[in-house]
Amino acid sequence: MDKFSLIGKNMRRVDTTSKATGEAIFSADLILPRMLVGKVLRSPHPHARIISIDTSRAEKLPGVKAVVTAKDTCGDKWGVFRYTQDQQFLPTEKVRYVGEEVAAVAAVDEDTALEALKLINVQYEKLPAVFSVEESLAPNAPRIHDTYPNNINIHVKIDVGDVEKGFQESFYVREDTFSAPEDSYFQGEPYAVAAQFDHSGNLEIWMPNAGPHLKAKPLSNALKIPLNKVRVRKIKIGGAFGGRSEVSPADMICALLARKSQRPVKIVYTREENSVCTRQAHAMKATIKTGVDKEGRVIARDITCHMDGGAYSSTGPIAVSVPFLCMEQAYRMENVRYNGYRIFTNKPIRGMFRTHGRAFACGVDLQLDMIGEYLDINPLEMRLRNARQKGDYTPTKSYVASCGMTETIEKTGELSKWNEKWGKLPPYHGIGIGCNSVQTGFPMGIRGGSQAFIKFNEEGGITVISGVVDNGQGNDHMLIQIAAEELGLSTNDVQLINADTEVTPSDPGSYSMCETFIGGNAVRLAAQDARKKLFKYAAAALKVDCSVLDAKDKKIFVKDNPDQSISMSKVVRMALSRGEAVSGEGSYWPKVDPKREWVENPSGQLSETFSFGTVIVEVMVDPETGQVKVLEAWASQDVGYALMPVVIEGQFEGGLAMGGQGGMLTEFHIWNDGRVLNPTQLEYKVPLAVDMPKINNIIVETIDPNGPYGAKEAGMSIAMSAAQAYSGAICNAIGVYMNDFPLTPDKILKAIEEKEGIDSKGQKRKMDMR
Amino acid sequence: MEKAKRIVKLMINGEAHEVATNVNRTLLEVLREDLALTGTKESCGQGACGSCTVLLDGLPVRSCLLLAVEAQGRYITTIEGLSKGEQLHPVQDAFIEHHAIQCGFCSPGMILTASAFLEKNPKPTEEEIRRALSGNICRCTGYAKIIGAVKALADSGR
Repeated sequence: MDKFSLIGKNMRRVDTTSKATGEAIFSADLILPRMLVGKVLRSPHPHARIISIDTSRAEKLPGVKAVVTAKDTCGDKWGVFRYTQDQQFLPTEKVRYVGEEVAAVAAVDEDTALEALKLINVQYEKLPAVFSVEESLAPNAPRIHDTYPNNINIHVKIDVGDVEKGFQESFYVREDTFSAPEDSYFQGEPYAVAAQFDHSGNLEIWMPNAGPHLKAKPLSNALKIPLNKVRVRKIKIGGAFGGRSEVSPADMICALLARKSQRPVKIVYTREENSVCTRQAHAMKATIKTGVDKEGRVIARDITCHMDGGAYSSTGPIAVSVPFLCMEQAYRMENVRYNGYRIFTNKPIRGMFRTHGRAFACGVDLQLDMIGEYLDINPLEMRLRNARQKGDYTPTKSYVASCGMTETIEKTGELSKWNEKWGKLPPYHGIGIGCNSVQTGFPMGIRGGSQAFIKFNEEGGITVISGVVDNGQGNDHMLIQIAAEELGLSTNDVQLINADTEVTPSDPGSYSMCETFIGGNAVRLAAQDARKKLFKYAAAALKVDCSVLDAKDKKIFVKDNPDQSISMSKVVRMALSRGEAVSGEGSYWPKVDPKREWVENPSGQLSETFSFGTVIVEVMVDPETGQVKVLEAWASQDVGYALMPVVIEGQFEGGLAMGGQGGMLTEFHIWNDGRVLNPTQLEYKVPLAVDMPKINNIIVETIDPNGPYGAKEAGMSIAMSAAQAYSGAICNAIGVYMNDFPLTPDKILKAIEEKEGIDSKGQKRKMDMR
Repeated sequence: MEKAKRIVKLMINGEAHEVATNVNRTLLEVLREDLALTGTKESCGQGACGSCTVLLDGLPVRSCLLLAVEAQGRYITTIEGLSKGEQLHPVQDAFIEHHAIQCGFCSPGMILTASAFLEKNPKPTEEEIRRALSGNICRCTGYAKIIGAVKALADSGR
């Protein structure tokens, strides 16, 4: 008999039927009585002082019901951290990027709202602006925020061991610099928010979010209303990928318009607004110096990284840290120094992205290939020699409780026939490997834990109440699957109420890859609590001890004698007739070091556990056009335990598409003086069905000691290691190491031409750093 | 700002509708805002992503690029009209069964495109499926499970 009825099995997700029929309601689909259309007036300047805002003409336009500016706010500056409070949802003094919110209108229809925006007169005094890290750090550069000298927003400094001594003792040392421009989320659903206030001052609000509680608290602070009056409601969410973690000015603006007009208001972003005015990923330059011994083991590493943070802090301290942390988890490195800088520029705000820092991750991996070439060690072997192992501590002192890094390398190597291919493929045909590791949550103060409740009805069915949110990855089903498994129910017997700040308890949110681990554990504990109570009644009825009981198919039975049983419904009725309701409560608090802090103290347990992933891809490059054709991909990740394998495969495949296919071949933003020139899918090329290679999914299970059923983060390691594998494979195919990503045809052609130039002079064909 | 509205007659999912609308409004706007057929999604608004796909006389079109007045006299199918009562369309069923849906925002357009394609080509190769669905962008799945669902359905002969 299988150990589990539902866990580890593939089945239909509970949320997908409504999505297949058009029944599923996303924020932009909400229609409320008397609802108004909200539109936002945005800055046309990258950096300017606001002299005055005159809204009188807009207010007089028939059909306009409310106009808001900074005057309608308390003026407070918001920030994810106490030390990064630098953004006003509607600015009072300055605008700092093209697209920043300045004022907003609610009107009876879109045409009227747009016309009203044109009637708002804003006087600006233009200020000099900076559009790159170099410009921003130059002497005499304009200061973007008074509180940040030299435009340095964040500096994360990590120094472990003795890096200089490590380099002295190294057999071979090299230093390379890697760079990449901004990339973007391009969630299917453009940002949208709907809000309504009642006359008792209660706010009801719907928007795509990666944590409803993370939205509610800042809204409560900014609107100066008690937290219990901010009710962020559950709604279907069309993707997040890290881009919907924080409160958005649109949330605040929509709430202000709803309060002022005392009518429901909906703001639906255009695709351009979604690209420019939500979040983007950081542009980055990373200089990596690595020293190794004769066997290719890393002795010392020194990394300096500059990230273009755009106009405000956002999740800056996290975004600066995570690229480094992923790599210190993936590979052993004893002596290591990291200086990560996030620099303000007059560009849109940058947040955390699923493929954290492609220049960083690809740089670390490509450099391993370069070092391997010098030492005559093949890339796969280089990874095996440096792979993180279970029981290790990372340089910043996180204990690694479970780790399948080596297994993922070995399995992808074996299935891709790496050893038969490496160095033996025809010209312009290449193979590459990337490895990465991702956290399963991180310290988040009072928001670090998740709670869940379960209640029974008299038929034995249950309602699960949890703060976990589903961005599309299948969290709703995961919670139901766990509760049903623990209580011997089918998924049909379970209703879920989640991601609603009025009803559901606190939860960290779904942006640190922690929902299965933390939220799933909380639901499992709640179900176990309820089961214990049920078993008490069942044991009395069956005249046995609780310890001999089990639950399955809505029955509680004696393990050794399944015929001796009682229906769940009867047990619940017994309890109710005695005036006792059967319910369960669970709470899970991850074992992380609460003293760990991104900037002040980057040391201590970061996450209770980590995922580890390896991707190998095989590519062919057309030397005439520079086009890359990806022939096949092998994606492997240690997911702890696969609660539903097919869902995890979907995460691998989607991660490979975003991180590898899009992230390494086509995706980047183009700029003109702080203006995004490719804000839509017409010009920003995300992968299509024809582009994608065959993907072989390899799920590795290490059964994490603390994950629910051994599960941990699933999928993000693939997104990142795919980028690394793609870059390695293309460089292998053309015989040149490239250091500016993504690897677009123009760059590839230039690299090939330059290499051939060297060859034609009769010099030795040697892979050279460019 | 008064604009002349026109009565537009639309045949949607087998039902006749009369909508008084400005002539500059797209079919997508009329479907979503006037008729509350919100299963049709807007993602790019420029005809690049396929999220707003509806069937016009059985062929997939982008409703964000089509004026409502242009759809008069044509037979329009939206995602709401694909299932028959409680009975899901086989493509919807295959998408659910084979996990071709994650966030679900592109799914209505993708499903309509796939259903029109299978009508025309009931025994497609994988390459033909990839090409047929390449006007519809999905950011979550990497397309593998979507292609798999369409292939499995075609192979099953339903």
